[in-house]
Order: sequence, then C-alpha cells, then structure tokens
Amino acid sequence: MLFAKTTGAVGAALAALVVALIPMAASASGSQASADLERIVGPPAGHVLVGRGLEEATEAVASLMRCPVCQGLSVATSDTELARSIRVQAQEMLQLGYTQDQVLDYFEYSYGEFIRLAPKPEGFNLVVWIAPGLALLIGIGLVTLRLRGQRPPTPVEASVPSPEDSELDTYLSQVRREVGPSGGPGAGGAES
Amino acid sequence: MNRVVLAVGALVAAPLLIFLALSFRSNPNVIESPLLGTAAPAFELLDLDSGSRRLGDLKGKPVVLNFWASWCVPCVAENAVLADAARRYAGQVGFVGIVYQDDPVRIRMFQAQLGEWGPALMDPAGRTAIAYGVYGVPETFFIDRNGTIVHKITGAVDRASLERVLRDML
Repeated sequence: MLFAKTTGAVGAALAALVVALIPMAASASGSQASADLERIVGPPAGHVLVGRGLEEATEAVASLMRCPVCQGLSVATSDTELARSIRVQAQEMLQLGYTQDQVLDYFEYSYGEFIRLAPKPEGFNLVVWIAPGLALLIGIGLVTLRLRGQRPPTPVEASVPSPEDSELDTYLSQVRREVGPSGGPGAGGAES
Repeated sequence: MNRVVLAVGALVAAPLLIFLALSFRSNPNVIESPLLGTAAPAFELLDLDSGSRRLGDLKGKPVVLNFWASWCVPCVAENAVLADAARRYAGQVGFVGIVYQDDPVRIRMFQAQLGEWGPALMDPAGRTAIAYGVYGVPETFFIDRNGTIVHKITGAVDRASLERVLRDML
C-alpha cells in the first residue's frame, strides 16, 4: 500500500486545505458528523493522504468492508448508492488523516462487526481463524492413518511365520515322513 | 478406524448443529443495532423548505426518528400509523423523518397524497443514514429524553409495536 506521507508544516497546510474543501466539514451537518467522528474514533492518528496514495488507501479500506445491502460484495466492488456513500465518507476520513483502523472502527460503530469482511481475530471469532487450519490438520492426520493401514507388509514382517504357516509346516513334515526320502508313494513298487 | 472417523465427524458436526439450533432462537427479520443504548448520532439537516433542523432541538423529549423514501412500499403502509401516532402524541414526542436516497419533489408528492406526520429532512449522500447504521427503509429509531437510542424497528412500524415502545419511553 502506497501512502503519501506528509510531515510538518506541509502536512498541516494540506490538512487545512482538505478540511476546507471537503463538503462534510464545510456543511452544517458536516460539523456534527466531525464531532461524532472525534467522539467515536478520536482524533486522526495517521497521515494526511492525497492523490494516488489516497485512492489506493480508499480502495484498500473499501475492500475490507461488506456492502450492507448486498450479498457477499465488498464496498469496493458494490455499485449501490449506499456503498458509494460509504466509499466517499471513508475517503474523506482518510483525507483528514484517519487511519484504516479508525475508518473501519467508525463504520463498525454504526453497523457492527458485520461491516468487516474479515472479522477481528479475537474472542469467539478466533474459531473462524483457527478452525480451517485445525480441520486441515485433522484431515491430514486421518488420511495419514488410513494410508498407514493400507501399507504393504515389509520383508521383515513377511519372514515371520504366521500360526497358519506353522500348522502347514507340521502337516508338510508329516507327509514327508510318510512318503519317505525317495519321493512318492510308488517309489517302493506298485501293489496289485 | 471407523470409531476415529465417527468421533472426528461428531466433533465437527456438534458445534455446527449447536450454532444452527441457537440461530432458531432469534428472529431473522430483526437486525440488531449496535447503537442501542448509545447516544443518538447528532445531525443538522435541511427540511423541504430549507429550514435547518437539529436533533438537539428536541432535547428533553422522546423522539421517533424514521428513515423512509417515497419509493419504499412498506413506507406507504406505515405512513398512516406514524401520522396517527404523531397526532395523538403531539407535544409529548417528536416525530422526525429522514429521507433516504430520494428527492424533494417525490417526497412532496408522497406527502400530498398520503399525509404528513413530521418534517422530512434531506440527507445528502446518506451521511446520517450511515451514522445510524441504516440498511434499508423503513427503519425507525426511538430516542429517549436523554438522547439515547433505546429501540429500533426494522421494516414497517405497526400500531401495536409503536404504542408499546412509546408507552415505555413516556
């Protein structure tokens, strides 16, 4: 994000110019609104923004706010009159030197946390941030367990005789004893 | 293995089911305002005759603040209810309308046809509506004598609800 930062006398002069130009501060209702701004989010805590920096900052903060009358659209992408009004007001706040957080806090004051597209990572909201990672880990764990269960037996495991093999060995030995060293039952002559 | 899968499934499904069950307890038509219990945002707006009106002018008196527009169908329905209440509570309660995304000509036509119950204040760029967290019209805020928002009705105001809230405020 590119912020046009100004300092000292230049900043103060720009701030005064901006305050004088924007309609919010110039109108009667604007002075009331400014008083409410101060009451809600305090004095501007950032830098006065102008030009391209202001445009980018406005776009950035608008993309973080949910359009109150839309389905899943941000204030930046919505073309409704209300979204446009919020964008304009957000831009005016940034012009006055309010920070992105102050702008978000201001609109959250009247619309609640609903206005934030990304809820604050605190309290119950942490579930939203933690649950996807946790679900992914659980999924990986389950898949790993399943794959281990299907792994082919290792050579070491194959060489260990099973109980079935032992039984077969017993029968095989018995057969060999009965048949004798020469081979089959017919080795000693055929009976008639 | 099957037990593990079942346990994990239950672990994932249980919170979702609890969340859904809790959702049934609230009315989906009610949009809670975070402004309830806080100071009503101040405003100074112009009425249709360009007269300046401030919320502060009504200090010490309960106020019914209604956001409305001529294109809003429920606003037509509630207009008679507000007009009747404004007549009965004249002098005791201040009734103020703030026009939402509309123009003065249409507002005058609306009032000429359906009646007028209080000043209709123009809200340039919807600043006051935004300050009150308005989603759409009609929305009605009830401000007590101390300037605190004590109730909000989303959608058309009906006679019974209006009476109940006003009785609580007086």
